[in-house]
Amino acid sequence: MLSRVVLSAAATAAPSLKNAAFLGPGVLQATRTFHTGQPHLVPVPPLPEYGGKVRYGLIPEEFFQFLYPKTGPYVLGTGLILYALSKEIYVISAETFTALSVLGVMVYGIKKYGPFVADFADKLNEQKLAQLEEAKQASIQHIQNAIDTEKSQQALVQKRHYLFDVQRNNIAMALEVTYRERLYRVYKEVKNRLDYHISVQNMMRRKEQEHMINWVEKHVVQSISTQQEKETIAKCIADLKLLAKKAQAQPVM
Amino acid sequence: MNENLFASFIAPTILGLPAAVLIILFPPLLIPTSKYLINNRLITTQQWLIKLTSKQMMAMHNTKGRTWSLMLVSLIIFIAMTNLLGLLPHSFTPTTQLSMNLAMAIPLWAGTVIMGFRSKIKNALAHFLPQGTPTPLIPMLVIIETISLLIQPMALAVRLTANITAGHLLMHLIGSATLAMSTINLPSTLIIFTILILLTILEIAVALIQAYVFTLLVSLYLHDNT
Repeated sequence: MLSRVVLSAAATAAPSLKNAAFLGPGVLQATRTFHTGQPHLVPVPPLPEYGGKVRYGLIPEEFFQFLYPKTGPYVLGTGLILYALSKEIYVISAETFTALSVLGVMVYGIKKYGPFVADFADKLNEQKLAQLEEAKQASIQHIQNAIDTEKSQQALVQKRHYLFDVQRNNIAMALEVTYRERLYRVYKEVKNRLDYHISVQNMMRRKEQEHMINWVEKHVVQSISTQQEKETIAKCIADLKLLAKKAQAQPVM
Repeated sequence: MNENLFASFIAPTILGLPAAVLIILFPPLLIPTSKYLINNRLITTQQWLIKLTSKQMMAMHNTKGRTWSLMLVSLIIFIAMTNLLGLLPHSFTPTTQLSMNLAMAIPLWAGTVIMGFRSKIKNALAHFLPQGTPTPLIPMLVIIETISLLIQPMALAVRLTANITAGHLLMHLIGSATLAMSTINLPSTLIIFTILILLTILEIAVALIQAYVFTLLVSLYLHDNT
């Protein structure tokens, strides 16, 4: 259909191409349509789980069922074999014994190790399935864990206000402590300054006192003239002599 | 007797057309492929066996040697299958024909040698002289080593042919011996039949071992040259 559109477009665009005969086969090929019917085998049908039943590993069961209404299959088999042998259609030769030994060894091997190999193959398949199953289970478990974690997180969110209260209290206490600390520091600083002034005043008063005392002493000492000093000393000696007389008198009593 | 003994080794023809091609193409039908993950028991065991042998065989090669893994694994599967199928009565074994074994051995061996000479020419030439030979012996030893290199493909082909052919011939001979003795003396027939059974077991082992040896030697030549 698209090619017809192209053709008509080409015809209108270049009228000289209208008579082109060499487009004929291409048109035929291009107008054959594909993929029109319904798709077969969608989705792909699943395989049967077990194969068809066989007897003696070679002859399917359906053969026996087919024969049973008419003739016994074993009788038929025996008859055929005896016929072939007697008419020398099958010649007993060296190959017969080789065949007997090979087939004997094969049958012995299959009978003895058949179930073992079958179980081994089943185990291999089961391992593959178990791996995939485990991957699926691990994924489910992971998601379940995530769901549980999410639920517990949601429950925790409900109890968050306790945490906030405690934090608020802590902060209030810390603020109070800092305020008090700073208040104390301010108090100490101010006291320091005031103490300084007081000690300065005290020192000044002491210094003034000392200075005054020194000044008074100096002047007093200066004022004592030599004359007065001699008179004072003589008087002290006379007083002392009197006192000595008085004192001597005491212990005699 | 002579005609009958080697009759099983004639390349079979059907009305003048070679049926040997059909016989050589038959073994792959017994190894099905599958696009499912879980298969029936046959495919599962075959896949497991092939995985085991390929891992074991290609373990000793480096990356360049492992590009040969498809070739070597299909080689061992082909030789093992044809040898085992040849044990069935009245069957034809392609590996008894020297022509086919030469056709397998020469290209593979030549491939390894040419690969060695293309990539590491010094290493490939150094194989001609083993280490630690006294100086006067060198010319002779080089000649001997060259001859041993050139004889490798012939040895591969002839080894496989001779082993399988000898086994088949022996089975045929002892089978005809039992046939002859069955009319004369029955107990000795049973003894000879027991020998035949033991030989069959040996032949099965030889079939597998020869496949393994062939492939192993090719892989060894590959290892030398990569």
